[in-house]
Amino acid sequence: MVKEASIGAPLDVSEPAPRVQRQTLSGMIAMGISLCVLVVISSMPWWADQGLIRSVVEISCYVAVAQMWNLLAGYSGLVSVGQQAFIGVAAYAMFVLAQLWGLNPFLAVLLCLVAPAVLAVPTYGLLHRLDGPYFAIGTWVVAEVMRLATSTFGYVNAGAGMSLRVMTSYSAEQRAIGVSLLTALMLLVTVGGSFLLLRSRYGLALVALRDSPVAAASQGVNVGRMRFLVWISAAIGTGFAGAIYFMAHLRITPPAAYDPKWANVAIFIVMVGGLGSLEGVLIGTLIYFFADRWFGQFGAAYLVVLGLLTLFMALFARGGVWGLICRVVDAPWFPTRRKLLEDQP
Amino acid sequence: MQWFDGLVQGVLLGGLYAQYALGMALMFGVMRIVNVTHGDLMILLALVGISMAARFGLGPWSVLVILVALGAAIGLVLQRVILNRVVGSDPLPSLIATFGLSIALQNAMLEIWSADTRSLDGGAIAQASFQVGPMFVGVLPVIVLVTATVLTGGLDTAVRYTRFGRALRAAAADVDAAAMTGINPKSVYAAATAIAVAILGFAAVFQSVRATVSPADGPFQLIYAFEAVIIGGMGSIWGAFLGAMVLGVSQSVGFRINPGFGVLAGHLVFLIVLAVRPQGILGKE
Repeated sequence: MVKEASIGAPLDVSEPAPRVQRQTLSGMIAMGISLCVLVVISSMPWWADQGLIRSVVEISCYVAVAQMWNLLAGYSGLVSVGQQAFIGVAAYAMFVLAQLWGLNPFLAVLLCLVAPAVLAVPTYGLLHRLDGPYFAIGTWVVAEVMRLATSTFGYVNAGAGMSLRVMTSYSAEQRAIGVSLLTALMLLVTVGGSFLLLRSRYGLALVALRDSPVAAASQGVNVGRMRFLVWISAAIGTGFAGAIYFMAHLRITPPAAYDPKWANVAIFIVMVGGLGSLEGVLIGTLIYFFADRWFGQFGAAYLVVLGLLTLFMALFARGGVWGLICRVVDAPWFPTRRKLLEDQP
Repeated sequence: MQWFDGLVQGVLLGGLYAQYALGMALMFGVMRIVNVTHGDLMILLALVGISMAARFGLGPWSVLVILVALGAAIGLVLQRVILNRVVGSDPLPSLIATFGLSIALQNAMLEIWSADTRSLDGGAIAQASFQVGPMFVGVLPVIVLVTATVLTGGLDTAVRYTRFGRALRAAAADVDAAAMTGINPKSVYAAATAIAVAILGFAAVFQSVRATVSPADGPFQLIYAFEAVIIGGMGSIWGAFLGAMVLGVSQSVGFRINPGFGVLAGHLVFLIVLAVRPQGILGKE
């Protein structure tokens, strides 16, 4: 009976295709603003001074690293506290390509992204056997291994670090143009890419995975493959930020490249801004950046507050600032929901 | 001979790591949470102990008694105030909460005690050694190893045979079913955390007599404890002890190959174990 009915139904009634609302007014406005921001960042060399460019590059790197962490922790359930492994390995690969092998440094920023991808494969292979929090500390061990190994590796000048001297062959203006364009590209790839990913069918799979891995698997989501792909993508995105950050700094040492600060920053930004939302990352980054500028002078005391704030958010406000905003107004900047519209007869 | 010496020193070093790892194995076995502040709490206890010894002129043994009691109290508070709110099937909240607390603790300690390395004066015992054949073995490391063995044995016996141990294992297997049979999971959790941090009191005294401590050392101790637990096999008390021995020997032998290679060798052995025997030495399939 039931079988007949389910087969018969589409034949008898020609069902209209369901109408789904994907875009909202707030989303279109935010999209316009985002494109303007990208154009403004790309055009910085023609109007901004060195200090401003440096700050914008720094903010953009935080956005990229935090967004990649958000994709891991907020959607695929992979909590990492060792993202600095990918920052460092990409930045070092860029320095080797540009400084030791003599490649164009701007091209090297793109080519070096092979390194974090290559590191991500065995890392996932080893660590996916660990459960939840143990996975997280496992990623930390990998980052420590990379730091210690780099510190003893004579080819990259071991613990003393390297300088990107090839950059002296470019004028300050050329460097500014290169870094600004790469920064805009990085934002486009990490934030725009995440947006497109979350709107695609893979986005549906990721949201299902976030809510319950077991239920997602029962709906036909290949959980292991999804996690693996997100892990690799996040490694590449994080590495991109690392390469640009250290290109702007012109100098790299193992403790700076594999600094656990990166994981702290990503976790703070996402937890305070709002886990599992693109908007939260942007809000969190702005909070972190200005807090750092204004209160950074208080050193350790400021970091105590930062740590306690993260703790507070984890205990009492899991959705972060964006979650609180969402309770008041429903105006997503990056709408990833599908809203089924009822047909009015 | 040099290698045999490395092996002996590694086993003795493993005794210290076992004291870090026991608490972590207990907490993970019962609550399925990793307390990221594990290493920082050890450093906090050590710094408090050093300050108290200097202020009141206490010897290492009185400091030990105070720190174990203080550790148990800290564990109870930690469990009541923070961990009870985040314990559950989702590992993210507990990880993030303790991660934030870890950053706060490290920097608070930095503010109070500055970044200087400090150590506790252990008296004559710190330098005493005896000769076994051609080797000199320190008295203190042997005390550390014996303490670790006794603690492991005691904890394992408690978990296996006492009323508290049965409640602990019941809560670990199924919290709801355990609650139905009259066990209060919150007190079981509180007791487990109190024991875990109290054991860190031992580790704190031995670490600060043997070597030095500074506020930023916590994360490294956390990683060693974690590696020992995974190498030994999750959920096994003696496994954590064995894992600590493996880690200690790897570091000690690695250090004799090249001084820059010691800690790295420990990490590499951990990754190899993860690759070839992910359930750990004593873990069941």
